[in-house]
Amino acid sequence: MNSTNPLSGIRAIEIAEVWAGPFCGCLLGDLGAEVIKLESIQRINRGPIKPDADSGGYPDGIPGTDPWNRNGNFNGVNRNKKGLTLDLKTTQGVDSFKDLVAQSDVVYCNYARSVMENFGLSYQEVRKIKPDIIYMLMPGYGNDGPYADYRSMGMAIDAITGHSYLRGYPDLELSSNSLVHHPDAVAAVNGVMAITSALIYRAKTGKGQFIDMSQAESFMTHLGETYLEYQITGIPRERRGNRHPAFAPQGVYKCLGEDNWIAISVKNNSQWNLFCQLFNDALLKDNRFIDLRARIDNHDVLDKEIEKITQSYDRYDLFHFLQENGITSGVVIDSGEDTYAEPHLNQRDFFQVVEHPSAGIFPLTGPIIKYFGGELVNQPAPQLGEHNNYILQDLLGYQNSKIEDLSINNVIGTRPLFGSDMGGSRRIKP
Amino acid sequence: MTYSALDDITVLDLSDRLAGSFCAKTLSLYGCDVIKIEPIGGDITRNWESGNPKNSSDSPLFLHLNSGKKSMTLNLEHIMAISILKALIKKSDVLIETFKPEKLASIGLSYHEIKSINPNIILTSITPYGQTGPYRFYEYDELTVFAMTGAMHREGLPERYPVRYGGETSQYFAGNTAASATTAALFKRLLHGGGEWIDISIQECMAGHPHQIGRRAPFIYAGDIDKRVSPRTSATGDREPYAVGTFKCKDGYFSFLPLGPRMWPNIAKMINREDLLINPRYDIPAKRTDLRKELEDIFQNWLNQYTRSEIFDFVQKAGIPGSPILRSDEVLSNTQFVDRGFFQTVTQPNGMILKMTGEPFRLTGLPKLDTLPAPETGEHTKEILKNILQMSESDVENLYKESVI
Repeated sequence: MNSTNPLSGIRAIEIAEVWAGPFCGCLLGDLGAEVIKLESIQRINRGPIKPDADSGGYPDGIPGTDPWNRNGNFNGVNRNKKGLTLDLKTTQGVDSFKDLVAQSDVVYCNYARSVMENFGLSYQEVRKIKPDIIYMLMPGYGNDGPYADYRSMGMAIDAITGHSYLRGYPDLELSSNSLVHHPDAVAAVNGVMAITSALIYRAKTGKGQFIDMSQAESFMTHLGETYLEYQITGIPRERRGNRHPAFAPQGVYKCLGEDNWIAISVKNNSQWNLFCQLFNDALLKDNRFIDLRARIDNHDVLDKEIEKITQSYDRYDLFHFLQENGITSGVVIDSGEDTYAEPHLNQRDFFQVVEHPSAGIFPLTGPIIKYFGGELVNQPAPQLGEHNNYILQDLLGYQNSKIEDLSINNVIGTRPLFGSDMGGSRRIKP
Repeated sequence: MTYSALDDITVLDLSDRLAGSFCAKTLSLYGCDVIKIEPIGGDITRNWESGNPKNSSDSPLFLHLNSGKKSMTLNLEHIMAISILKALIKKSDVLIETFKPEKLASIGLSYHEIKSINPNIILTSITPYGQTGPYRFYEYDELTVFAMTGAMHREGLPERYPVRYGGETSQYFAGNTAASATTAALFKRLLHGGGEWIDISIQECMAGHPHQIGRRAPFIYAGDIDKRVSPRTSATGDREPYAVGTFKCKDGYFSFLPLGPRMWPNIAKMINREDLLINPRYDIPAKRTDLRKELEDIFQNWLNQYTRSEIFDFVQKAGIPGSPILRSDEVLSNTQFVDRGFFQTVTQPNGMILKMTGEPFRLTGLPKLDTLPAPETGEHTKEILKNILQMSESDVENLYKESVI
């Protein structure tokens, strides 16, 4: 463990799946905490596991004999954690969990509030074992109120907070919108702040506490001005697409090559004049674009004129040329090839080469929080039950016979049980 | 006095625009004392966009980002301002800044110099592309930095241009990440002492987001390219496509995401068409995918009869993830948010009463703090100079005369 990292010496137990909880744990791990991801061999929470080689989720498209350890999405968002399996539906499993709690600082869970309660592991129960535990539940709508037991996913939070209403093409119906799970990531980031604030409070007072997070409320703080705008003007905000109410032109334009685009934002008259001088003097004298009002009113035509220019440029050449002239622009990079090739991200070590025992050696996304002089934590995502022995033997001091007994009773394990729920519709073959 | 998680912490908010302001505001919600340093003409977001409040020049964005802060004006062009800033840095715990890299150093405030003034200070720098690398001086706004994260290329229809999210997404996300990073650094300082320089890149925050990680992994693992797709497609491709995405209903739109073919019976029961379950036309997922158009018509006909709130009840009973799409005014009156008291009623200095967003998470072991309005430009200049820096009335007057404040 590295003493220069902010959370070194802190142990957190994660009971979570998909993104909100797991990404929170990933960031805690990046900051130096020892994050123990609790899973079970009865129900695999690693995203849909497909035994068939039909998904790029696996290295080279090959699921291998342990596809649950080779899922790209899972391995990407679960870096810097340790893996423990426990069947919390058994007394032995719950007892082991309690033993672990006694040596931990934080427990967090992104399931509906009833899940931990049903295991007999509500905050009230857990604090009996560790009175100063920091315990966070982060369901979609919070831990009380009429929706307290509602199921939710990121896309549902996106809809109910008003963000979906603001996304998409202004000239099409909302039904053309894709689903976005951004609120999960926001809840993860707020989860880190919640836990570290509670750790500060504990360090000062010796007291732990229950953290009540609503993923919806967490995300609504990112939309605060839209609620105020309605109260002040009486008019709810509508979709804007890629445009800005106070600048023009602003948009995304085709460049050379297939599906290659550049985003350009002209913020004032002098930038517009410069843009015209650089590319097409005639636009400057064109009455349709003579001032900001005209450019906003004739934005559709203006976009066509701009695209006539951009489509003969390489997107990166144009991006650098515009930026060198002080005009705001960005290449619309994709999440795969373009991001991996991005010179700036590479120079900043955005990717970290990770050696995973089953999936192999790949450069994966690294920490987003960078401390100058901080030391990088760079551990692969845990394999199912990979650290059972470390945790049960080294941390909890269990005898070999006890660990064997847990294994015989399927309380622990490193392979999904036959017939276990694999998170999709498929069941694992024996 | 109420005791909070982050009390005794003084934050100097030297930021302009969104991400830094939001970082400081989030810290203020948990007890930090935030001093916003503005140019004499006021922060640029005070006049941002349209929709300014009646009887006030401040934009909704400014009011949201700066509620609970104190405002002090300081003309950083003036040499005396730098010494005031240094004196404030000495008395502060956190400095948040969003200048272009090297700007602070050019006014005599490199990290090294800041550290020599206050060895325990946490300097949180938030910029579009970070403190290092070839793009570090590049210009940005939400559209262009969002483009550079990978999030945008995937967003929209395959036959159309990529489209950005609805809000100031990446700036908020980076500001929130910065608040978490700052809190973690404060925790470390409490235990071990010493300051920190945090380098937050808006681009990296959004590019390192699980959405992008989930799209990037199949590429690096197996060369799969993730393009814009039809809105009825879900990530795994086998999720009852006729019921995936956003649909029109009686009074608006509703978003659904059935989790795989195991939800086919839930859907059929929800729309009162259990007969479909015994119809061999639809008995396997592949057939339902092929016949998606006719199933979508059936689904749509059912949707047309109900309101969003009725459908919200139905999906909860059926166990299918889904939510109504609300408009900003509807969010304000939503029963869950009202019941939990999320929005805080705040009286502005001009007498206007506004409901502002509350805490992103609740530390239930601590009393809740009051939400306060955003300050007027320079409202607390005198108070800060006198109380924190122990300046005399005549010294302060002199600074006004010299246009330092």
